[in-house]
Amino acid sequence: MSDALEPDGDTVERFRTVMLPHLDAVYGFARWLTRDPVRAQDVAQEAMLRALRYFHAFRGGEARPWLLRIVRNTWHDARKRRDAEQPLEVVENEAAEGPTPEQSAIAGDRRRHVAAALAALPAEAREVLVLREIEDLTYKEIAAVLDLPIGTVMSRLARAREKLAGDLRSRLGRRDHGLRDL
Amino acid sequence: MDCATCEAMVDVYLDGEMSAADCAAFERALERCPECRRRLDEARALSALLRELPAEPAPDLLRARIDRELRSIAGRSRRLSATLPPRTSLRWTAMAASLIVAASLGWLGGSLSTQGSRDADELVAGYLRVASSEHPVDVVSSDRHTVKPWFAGKIDYSPPVHDLTSDGFPLLGGRVDIFDGRKVAVLVYRHNQHKVALTLWPAGSGNGVPAHIEQRDGFVLAQWRQAGFELRAVSDIEPAEMTAFTKAVDRSLGGGG
Repeated sequence: MSDALEPDGDTVERFRTVMLPHLDAVYGFARWLTRDPVRAQDVAQEAMLRALRYFHAFRGGEARPWLLRIVRNTWHDARKRRDAEQPLEVVENEAAEGPTPEQSAIAGDRRRHVAAALAALPAEAREVLVLREIEDLTYKEIAAVLDLPIGTVMSRLARAREKLAGDLRSRLGRRDHGLRDL
Repeated sequence: MDCATCEAMVDVYLDGEMSAADCAAFERALERCPECRRRLDEARALSALLRELPAEPAPDLLRARIDRELRSIAGRSRRLSATLPPRTSLRWTAMAASLIVAASLGWLGGSLSTQGSRDADELVAGYLRVASSEHPVDVVSSDRHTVKPWFAGKIDYSPPVHDLTSDGFPLLGGRVDIFDGRKVAVLVYRHNQHKVALTLWPAGSGNGVPAHIEQRDGFVLAQWRQAGFELRAVSDIEPAEMTAFTKAVDRSLGGGG
């Protein structure tokens, strides 16, 4: 990316028109990455302001993948800052959180289990699955967001799906059934 | 196409990343291979499970914070043009513009915020939902005998409801909101052209605590405990008017004042 510029009033207005409609996606992705509603708001806000500073480098095309890439980088930087502030063993032992109150309010056990299983996946598997299934991006777009070759995106996605399917079966105690029976 | 290929192609087929020619070949291979059909069904089922997860929209407060940052950035270079972003009402923008956030990019301010200020943020966001919405209340009535029963079955306690018209705060109605992860009753009052949102829930301990009034982000917040209830009021009225409101509520609850 090129250097950040101080945007003028026109740039801010264009940014509102082009990028602000994707705020729900920005927050939703940040929510799955951070697994924490407060940190998700912080990441989403910082990502939007970064996006504004780099908006002159946006060459049209799909706004959402461009924004989601910035969300992911913002989250990475925030994690690095947090890791620098915390003793290493705390970071490494950071357990995946259970379902949050609002996720618990989701109607039906099945959805709650699916949300909890997705939240419990390692970040590498979680982000690729969220981009494909929840944000509905193409392989090419995911490759751009994660800065990976398409082949790597495909193999990560396959591994992530396999792991999630296994986790769901053990959560729901249906080792001998397929997911169709859930 | 042999089965190993078939297996490797299930995801690509399902993700819609396959050419039309390959799709046709894959579908022919599927007919001869029950194992691959099973894999495809499983992959479809997993995808459907993920896609039915409810999406969580960006919170109002986040929207307001970003809006305010954008305004201040635009204002630094020149006066803002009058065009408004899509999905934003004039009234809402005026409200959001009065929210004050940390001058930093928000990360530091956010990660250092205490539980108390998070609560206040949540209350202000709830007030914005009331003040900026076309339908500020779920039950529109100044009659306490209509509003009080409306809450039955929607929340797990029965809030005391009083019309305060004689004190200058007519009751507009009530709504249910989420505060600190639980469902709570919000009563909405009017004061001249302003609205006051009163959130209340049963207190953990019985002793009354006098109203503490603070100004925050251009709003005035009151926090107190009375007659076995925790009470939180948010509005954009003057602090002195908020004091009058808390006293009126206390009198209606049979407490001090």
